[in-house]
Amino acid sequence: MNAAAGMWGELSTMHAWAIATAAVVAAGCALVGTLLVVRRMSLLGDAISHAVLPGIAVAVLAGGRPGGLLVLVGAVAAALVTVLLVQVLRREGGLADDAGTGVVFTTLFALGVVIVTAAASRIDLDPGCILYGILELVPFDTVRVAGLEVPRAFLTGATVLVIVAAGLAATWKEQLFTAFDIDAARAVGLPVAVVTAGLLAATALVTVASFEAVGAILVVAMLVVPAATAELLARRLHTMAFVAMLLGVVAAVLGYLAAWRLNTSAAGMIAVVLGLQYAIAAVVAPDDGAIARLVARLALGWRVICEDTLALLWRADEADAVASTRAFRSPSEWTAALWLAARGRIVRDAGRWSLTAVGRAEAETVVRSHRLWEAWLGRHADLPLDHLHPPAEWIEHHLGAELRRRIEADVGGGESDPHGRSIPREP
Amino acid sequence: MTAAPGIPYNTAVVAGAVAVVGFAAGVVGCFGVLRRRALAGDAASHATLAGVVAAFLLTGRRDLPTLLAGAFVAAVASLGCLVLIRRCTRTRDDAATALVLSVSFGIGIAMLSGLSARGIPGAGGLEQFLLGHTAALTATDAVTLAAVSLAVVLVVWAGLKEATLVSFDPAFAAATGWPVAIIDYALVTLVAAMVVVGLPAAGAVLVTALVVIPPVAARQWTDRVPTMLLLAGTIGLVAAVGGVAASAAVPRLATGPTIVLVAAALFAVSFFCGPERGWFARRRARAGG
Repeated sequence: MNAAAGMWGELSTMHAWAIATAAVVAAGCALVGTLLVVRRMSLLGDAISHAVLPGIAVAVLAGGRPGGLLVLVGAVAAALVTVLLVQVLRREGGLADDAGTGVVFTTLFALGVVIVTAAASRIDLDPGCILYGILELVPFDTVRVAGLEVPRAFLTGATVLVIVAAGLAATWKEQLFTAFDIDAARAVGLPVAVVTAGLLAATALVTVASFEAVGAILVVAMLVVPAATAELLARRLHTMAFVAMLLGVVAAVLGYLAAWRLNTSAAGMIAVVLGLQYAIAAVVAPDDGAIARLVARLALGWRVICEDTLALLWRADEADAVASTRAFRSPSEWTAALWLAARGRIVRDAGRWSLTAVGRAEAETVVRSHRLWEAWLGRHADLPLDHLHPPAEWIEHHLGAELRRRIEADVGGGESDPHGRSIPREP
Repeated sequence: MTAAPGIPYNTAVVAGAVAVVGFAAGVVGCFGVLRRRALAGDAASHATLAGVVAAFLLTGRRDLPTLLAGAFVAAVASLGCLVLIRRCTRTRDDAATALVLSVSFGIGIAMLSGLSARGIPGAGGLEQFLLGHTAALTATDAVTLAAVSLAVVLVVWAGLKEATLVSFDPAFAAATGWPVAIIDYALVTLVAAMVVVGLPAAGAVLVTALVVIPPVAARQWTDRVPTMLLLAGTIGLVAAVGGVAASAAVPRLATGPTIVLVAAALFAVSFFCGPERGWFARRRARAGG
């Protein structure tokens, strides 16, 4: 606690501005990234973030200031050139999108590096800064706004965030429609190309606004990772966007603080925190997390074992055999039997198991599903008799009352299955 | 051995080795491109930085084989993460690739910056793996890289039939009993190996171009796999040698970007002049038809 208190105490204005810059930049990236991820355009975000470099370099050579308007224009132009080139390669050269993207962005990035290296004496861009930014130095380049020294990068980031958020909010319905069903959107006359171009321009804007703070490659982390994490946690697009922005801001703050404590690159640590967020979400997400999936799978497996055990006893009754304790062979069947006994589905009397009324009803439902399915398969699928059992054994656990009723109507009353055994009535 | 006048022995050996590396990368990359996994190598290549730094931290050594062993482990681990994400989550492939790429690079950057901030002796120079720097290669290292590249080419040559089948018709291959998953993993591992071997020359950020651009360029000229492999290898070779020569001639120019630009120029020629798929050929076909 003391260490934490000390850390907060020492947090000077400098750190606060750096964190604020990282936060606005992360929020803007996460917002745009949500649409990119949903539209399967993540790699285009990757490509644009690399490809803006030559645009920035040329703009700086032409006299623009990092974070200034000329640089923004140069970066957006470079981004649009990237997208255009990928499209030309696809249309005219028949290149798959991933191959075309791979060619274009590596080439443009290489071009940018060469320009920066060649003109290093004349322009204020460091190759290292291009790759991973220098968030720590952001507070030193300030402009005076309303009597307050505000870092230029924060001002750019905040302006871009406001512009992008306003633009996306105004066209949200169109973005949503295009994201989920581009063909339908086109069919009802939505200007899909304009919507997409708007998204790409937004990507270029947030990328170049983040460039100074976190560099070309870690922008990709800010664009894609919060959105991918949010996708695991949320179902609706606008919820996803809010969750992604929140995750981005949290990662910006935590990553900066961690980097400060560990004395390392803030941009690098922000990416690391974003990765951790994703890993945690992948494990604990309510519907899609590894734990939720495991629990669901185990619960299904357990239900199948219990239902099979009930059906086993019911069939033994039907055959008028004594369901002795030997009926249960495997440990899982034994466990299921004890569980079913505890829940009043079966009882054990003088060494033999029998179904209670409740258990009998449940068993009949399972057997009924099984035999109805066999009857339906026998009628509609050209399968030999001995091939009917395996699919029915699987589907008996998944048929609902409504489906059973419809199958019964379809097979004509459903008195008996193809093996000649009678089908139990619906309990 | 007499080198050409004006070219030191070491530079000549390095150029020769990088030529072999470029050739092998072009050959192996063909299967990534044909399989529509052109950017899987990108995730692996960005992850190598963390592997290089980790290898240095763990062993305290900075000889090339140690660092590249670390890079290879990181590359394979990143590909493993990709498979894990594909299997266990509903994150789609493109987002997964971008995620693994950027987060693993972030780990590498954080480790590298942490090292240099602490002034750990010997840590300097690791950042050369970002953009590539062949001038620092010794002749022994260069020969090692060339040998590994040759071995990779031999493996591809031995498994040419299987690799071709899986690249073009994985469903048919699976139906006829080929272990498609294993062949797939083997191919991706070979791509990862070439990404690592190309690392000293092209750097973590751009080495992926070595396995993408030459195959894509070669594809413009031919429909036959063996021809494509040879062509891609040749284009990779020319790009690598051209890049090394240019960066040796121009001070402070990193090797990686130059290699990429030479390869891109060769791609542009292929894109316009390819016999059937090329721009001019298509124009002519369209005008004629």
